[in-house]
Amino acid sequence: MLRPSAFLFAVAAAVLLPVAPAAAQEPAAQPVKEGSTKESPLVSTEWLEKNLDSKKIRIVEVSVEPGVFERGHIPNAQNVSWHTDLVETVSRDIAGPEKFTALARRLGVDRDTTIVLYGDNNNWFAAWGAWVFAQYGLTDNVKLLDGGRKKWEAEKRPLDTRTADVPASTFTAQAPSGKLRARFADVLAVAKKERDEQILDIRSPDEFSGKIIAPAGIQELAIRAGHIPGSVNIPWAKAVNPDGTLKSKEELKALYAAAGIDGSKPIITSCRIGERSSHSWFVLSRILGYDARNYDGSWTEYGNAVGVPVVNLAGTVWGGK
Amino acid sequence: MTSPDGLAEPVGSVSFAAKPARRLARAGLVPVLAGPSPIAASRGLALRVAIAALVAAGLATAAWRLSGETGGTRLALSLVFGALFGLVLQRSRFCFSCQWRDFLVLGDPRGMLGILAALAAGIAGYAVVLGAWMPDPSGTRLAPDAHIGPVGPVLVLAGLAFGTGMALSGSCISAHLYRLGEGSPTAPFALVGTALGFVLGFLTWNPLYLASISDAPVLWLPRHLGYAGTLALSLALLAALAWPLLRRLPTPEPAARSDPLHAVFVARWPVWIGGLAVGAIGTLSYLRVGPLGVTAEIGGRARQAAGSFGLLPERLEGLDTFRGCATAVRDALLTPNGLFVGGLVLASFAAALVAGQFRPALPTSGQVVRGLTGGLLLGWGAMTGLGCSVGTLLSGIMAGAVSGWVFGVAMFAGAAGTLWVGRRMGVLA
Repeated sequence: MLRPSAFLFAVAAAVLLPVAPAAAQEPAAQPVKEGSTKESPLVSTEWLEKNLDSKKIRIVEVSVEPGVFERGHIPNAQNVSWHTDLVETVSRDIAGPEKFTALARRLGVDRDTTIVLYGDNNNWFAAWGAWVFAQYGLTDNVKLLDGGRKKWEAEKRPLDTRTADVPASTFTAQAPSGKLRARFADVLAVAKKERDEQILDIRSPDEFSGKIIAPAGIQELAIRAGHIPGSVNIPWAKAVNPDGTLKSKEELKALYAAAGIDGSKPIITSCRIGERSSHSWFVLSRILGYDARNYDGSWTEYGNAVGVPVVNLAGTVWGGK
Repeated sequence: MTSPDGLAEPVGSVSFAAKPARRLARAGLVPVLAGPSPIAASRGLALRVAIAALVAAGLATAAWRLSGETGGTRLALSLVFGALFGLVLQRSRFCFSCQWRDFLVLGDPRGMLGILAALAAGIAGYAVVLGAWMPDPSGTRLAPDAHIGPVGPVLVLAGLAFGTGMALSGSCISAHLYRLGEGSPTAPFALVGTALGFVLGFLTWNPLYLASISDAPVLWLPRHLGYAGTLALSLALLAALAWPLLRRLPTPEPAARSDPLHAVFVARWPVWIGGLAVGAIGTLSYLRVGPLGVTAEIGGRARQAAGSFGLLPERLEGLDTFRGCATAVRDALLTPNGLFVGGLVLASFAAALVAGQFRPALPTSGQVVRGLTGGLLLGWGAMTGLGCSVGTLLSGIMAGAVSGWVFGVAMFAGAAGTLWVGRRMGVLA
């Protein structure tokens, strides 16, 4: 009787011992290793895994695909649905102060909480979330997980299906700041050269040239094809490495400088509905520190507007059959 | 003719498959009932088992290869779940049409009890999963990608059409798929008819959507009753349905053979065992991949093909915003649902081969006509009802969708009515 139990004990010890040092590293959950998050708007997957249990951090997933979060998310992450939580669902606008207040309280977010956003599709909608959060004054404490869901999964880091329990906060949103958002009138002023700003269009080259109005399978269209006069085209994906992480600061600087965007003039980012362009907004504004605004009306507003100048490189003209 | 476990075989396979089966038996390929020489029979059995093992190994290799690719986990799991589903359907003869007919015509309620068992197991499983995913179901959100559809007159119409198609062609879509693996002569025509029925469905979608579906409420029980309330109500409903069935149970037959290999691989499983397995597969599939469904791929490909021939309306209003077996255009060669269906058919083929239930036959003209017309109705019903007896009925009821119950009632009513009329006219067996 003694032998089997001794054997079992040995097995248990062998299984548990290697965990012990790892567990020993974790206590205190590395009180949000200052420094590593203070300046950078990005956190690494490695850092996040070490800080999963920190009380000062809220992890938030903003994914496009429904069911992705529920089938397994980063432990302690909470779910935000961009379709319903971050927008008004009747009028076309970002979530109003009341809606955002309710959301922030549910997420247990305050002005001093470190918020780590991540999502599928190279963090598109996580970046869009960061843009919405920033308009409500949550800017420097909002970080993106570099590489997003894709990298976390590729590195085979743990996922969880349970819901995180976080205490609600008392955050109250004021009216959103308009400083990070470009409106139709702003863009039109740039198009008519009444204002010296730059427009960065991050759509695919075929959308930019006017060869197609929108990518295949997209319902939301515009009546005209092409782009806003004076805008330059750098597809958003050029800012990303194959593993999903963002390129280095120097590479990013060079990438945009090659198209004449060096931060000397205010920049407006634009795409089709304003979501992908927030990815480039995040890069320009938060990583490179340029003065950048996102134009969420984008081509589905501008391309449908009456009496505005349009450039169509592909020579597509509208005509009845 | 009766199958090894004493249950009557379904219309779709018995009456048509009987002759070729006897021919095969004479050739030593079907040893179960009347194998002439034991040596020839065992040689035939070895060959069939070898082929089945090859199919199983092929499926396992494919799943293993898929799981190694980036993002391939869902694809690999879909293939595995599809294969398990096919195995269970084939072994337990989990066929809505046959079990309903067994009850109505032969008075045997065991198959219908098996279907109720599947629902009960799945409802409990979904409640466990959903409770973790959406602790509070009372808001405006629906459970992620669960099949919760609009409830209205069009859904009833879809269920009736589906039930009629089921009675005409002898099976629902999932059963035609596993029958394909059994070599059924009707199944290929029913599945072609189904694809055509989907195209018909796309053509009638816009007027139906504008006239009725757009106003139809999407009713999800947990939103109103909570998970506990939904579980209690659903199980109570199932118990109420089971009560009269239980009173009609036949006297149990003495077990013919107690050999476990024979019980698993040759004799048909009792339907309730299949039902419990379907409930478990449904829950696991929802947890890891998505709700069970067998028509998304057929519908999606039919939509793509018809679209490329310019047969479809430019826009299908609101269609892609609904839950259910999504038919959105495919941009990849391999999709989770395609692999699920492929795994289903292949596993059913392997299982039928081992059991001596693979009985290919040349179709008669009656089978061609019944398959095509029945299939057309199955396809139209599955497109308009946003799923079939698996996607809308099983996965819907398991998730607490009212649409699942409504579709189910209409489907069984349609099948019963058609069967009654068909038998009186001497067209249906």
